[in-house]
Amino acid sequence: MPETPFSLKLYKWLIRLYPPGFREDYALPMEQELRDELADSRGFLALAVLWVRLLVDLAMSIPVQITRELFQDLKYTFRLWRTRPLPIVFAIAALAIGIGATTGVFSVVNSLLLRSLPFRNPDRLALLQHFFPPVRTAKEFHDWEKHSEYLADAAVFEEGDVNLGGPTALERAHIAETSWNFFSTLGVQPFLGRGFVPGEDTAGHNNVAVIAYGLWQELFAGNAHALGSTLMVDGQPVTIVGVAPARFDYPGKSVLWRPGTFSSGNFGWITIGRLKQAISWQQARSAFSTEAARWLAKTGPRARFIAKPRMMSLRDGLLGPVRNASLLLLGAVLLVLLIACTNVANLFIARTADRAGELSIRSALGASRSRLARQMLTECLFLSFVAALAGLLVAYWTTSLAARVQPPPLDTQSYSIVDGRVLAFAVLVTIVTALLSGILPSLHTRRVQAFGARASNGTRGSRLVRESLSGAQVMLTIILLAASVSVGRAFVHLMGIDRGYDAKGIVTASVSLEGTDYQQGKRQLPYFEEVLGRIRKLPGIRAASATEFLPLDAAGFVGGPFGLNGRPAARNSMMVPVLSEYFRAMGGQVLYGREFTAAEVRTGAKVAVVSEGFASLFGPPAEAVGRQLTIGRTDHWEIVGVAKGMDYEEDPTVAGEPEVFVPATAPAGFYSTFVVRVDGRAEDYLAAVRYAIRSVDPEVPIFGLKTMQQRLDAEVARPKFYRTAIWAFAAFALLLTMIGIYGIFAYAVVQRTKEIGVRIALGATPAGLRGMLIRRGLLMVGAGAIPGIAGALVAERFVESLMEGARPIGMATFASLILFLALVASMSIWSATRRIARLDIITILRFE
Amino acid sequence: MPHSDQRSPKEFTALSPVFFHILLSLAAGERHGYAIKREIAARTEGKLKLGPGVLYGSIHKMLELGWIEEAEGRPDPHLDDERRRYYRITRRGRQAARAEAERLRELVRLAAATFGAPEHA
Repeated sequence: MPETPFSLKLYKWLIRLYPPGFREDYALPMEQELRDELADSRGFLALAVLWVRLLVDLAMSIPVQITRELFQDLKYTFRLWRTRPLPIVFAIAALAIGIGATTGVFSVVNSLLLRSLPFRNPDRLALLQHFFPPVRTAKEFHDWEKHSEYLADAAVFEEGDVNLGGPTALERAHIAETSWNFFSTLGVQPFLGRGFVPGEDTAGHNNVAVIAYGLWQELFAGNAHALGSTLMVDGQPVTIVGVAPARFDYPGKSVLWRPGTFSSGNFGWITIGRLKQAISWQQARSAFSTEAARWLAKTGPRARFIAKPRMMSLRDGLLGPVRNASLLLLGAVLLVLLIACTNVANLFIARTADRAGELSIRSALGASRSRLARQMLTECLFLSFVAALAGLLVAYWTTSLAARVQPPPLDTQSYSIVDGRVLAFAVLVTIVTALLSGILPSLHTRRVQAFGARASNGTRGSRLVRESLSGAQVMLTIILLAASVSVGRAFVHLMGIDRGYDAKGIVTASVSLEGTDYQQGKRQLPYFEEVLGRIRKLPGIRAASATEFLPLDAAGFVGGPFGLNGRPAARNSMMVPVLSEYFRAMGGQVLYGREFTAAEVRTGAKVAVVSEGFASLFGPPAEAVGRQLTIGRTDHWEIVGVAKGMDYEEDPTVAGEPEVFVPATAPAGFYSTFVVRVDGRAEDYLAAVRYAIRSVDPEVPIFGLKTMQQRLDAEVARPKFYRTAIWAFAAFALLLTMIGIYGIFAYAVVQRTKEIGVRIALGATPAGLRGMLIRRGLLMVGAGAIPGIAGALVAERFVESLMEGARPIGMATFASLILFLALVASMSIWSATRRIARLDIITILRFE
Repeated sequence: MPHSDQRSPKEFTALSPVFFHILLSLAAGERHGYAIKREIAARTEGKLKLGPGVLYGSIHKMLELGWIEEAEGRPDPHLDDERRRYYRITRRGRQAARAEAERLRELVRLAAATFGAPEHA
């Protein structure tokens, strides 16, 4: 028979593309068929025609067969799932939460840490913190940046809120005042028009503005005629010269940029720079610290009030604590996912052991090992696929929740799960999940088959594997529990801090007089008195006052080295200008003396209330009353009272500066906010307070109309979210672990019914047997707990480094954690083995 | 996995031509794969030439349907080769082929009523 070995070899190789079930049955006849065909077709042309037909045939039939077997596997899977749906539903739910939460948190990490910033070469942009370049004049600053040894370009900016609008409607808006080269330093091209040009950051030339894309759409409906139009910024006309690219809102969601003007003593500037081309970050940092040291030396004694200058990448500067918390959460959800995978693997191994008999029969009937392993892998992949689909919902929910409590610093960083990298991550996670939860069981299938019909050996092996898996779950759960306790303690600490005021029952509302009739200093106080007079006439009002700085809002504080009777304090204090009744309205405590009277405020009397923290810098706080509060040798306020300090820092774990309170002579100088103490729920008074303010002059914009409690809640929302998330993850991990343990023992009881029957017949009591099983379970918990503690100790370092205020937990807490786990495990084993108590020995033994 | 598809032959509307031809070929007696293929090719004057994949895919499906079954393997009397698998038609297979023939007859009748009878019908 003339054979063409190459054709046959090639065909044999191509046949491998068929799925294993089909291949096993038909590879031989198909080869035989090819031999027949080859025998019938002689000559090159006939061979070529044969191959064309063969290839068409393969292309047509391979997909059909693969789909068929996949479909068969799926049908088989569904049949299995129908018989015991509960564990499968639970496994899918667990995986869905694992995959979904991981994907969701990853989308946050992706947006913040991986996605590119909306600047050219963002990795070369630096933020110079606690460092002030020479900014007395524009020339001085630009000379400095031009001669920098390490920066190719540097710009300064300052953020602020302004009243924005035309002649009639005013609106509060967040804007940035910048040096002329702000956009060019960032490498941002305006969408329309131009950026600023040299010289525009000097007084008299700075009445130009670049507006945000969104504002352009809102005010001009995207019309190019916007260029050259005039907008009012705090009552001053500015000409629009450019529109920023869509979604560009740096810094801090600004909607308008205008050149600032330089002057001595402006310490609000923030400096950013672009590294010179050939310079590494390390070189730049060392050059910067040399310069900073020189600058600090020139600053003189004031230097000790300034934090250590730092140079960091702009990305790090933007992220701050958000970055760490996101990484922490990502770590936590990955642990949860791992536990969920272990759970599925556990489930599959139990089932494999259950079906050991069936599997060996099937393999004896000729189902190949690879066919069975593939069936299992198909099931895992399908399970993970279903879980991933459900997980996308969880992911979507997670990201939208995250966007609420932890909004991204830039619009271009908005969290999205519809992002190439996030989806790739989700797919990867799903596949890894499927393999993790599928490979262990399928390895086990192999063993079962190797044992052949002696499947009972396989079940003992499987129990050991499952117990090890549960031990691993215990380990991971302890790590998560420890982390959650540690984060939870940080939060409890946060909530327990005495803030020096009573947030309940306070309405707050801010106004801005910029660009209104009351802008001039002398007209401010009468406006405030008029408003306060009307508010006090409302029913249910106990006290009303106003302040320039509300607690929690240390932004833009003023202050300095205050002293007592000319003796300067060892540290800076912040100055809070307030009106009368402030302490009564805030629920603060005047410890000694009194607060200001309305008459003192009206006449601009030089009186002050100092915080306990300030007074105690000089001796017993009570003795401060009656002395002089001083700056240098000229300014004097008579101290009339000592009050408990209020917590002005946004982050309460940071010890703020002591405060001194003085009567506000021009209350609208900074951020003037009314504070109103009411009877009952503060929420019920919001509308009335707003109405009272508007009734004086509807032109004055009111913003930030909130209860103090809402402000406080917003402030702690992020730590609270982290705490809740970590607690939820830990609780979920605990639940999965307990289900794992329950499953093992419930199963062991079924598997070992005969043995148990014999033992009871020989005199063992059911309770004694259950106790024995509990001891075995506790051994497992113990075996998992030891590496768990080690892991928790390592994880704790990670948590502490990532989360401000996270406290390490001591051995006592570990001991109680493990005790708790052991207790829960015992309870779950006790209920899993309740069958033993109901066993009918006679029936069991009759089966023998 | 013989006979795992429980549908009755009547439930199949419009049998695939490949199935129909295989059934026709097996109705005449037991055949092995290559013989089925050659017979079909000859009967259709070379218009329907089944490749190995499609042929054994169809055989696999029909085994599952229980329309054909494997006969005891035996050497081909002509080629003297032992590695042949022979198939034969089952009762269900005959039913299916008959149902298909009936369906085709109805179709032809309908066509004749619509377009007129073909000249040498």
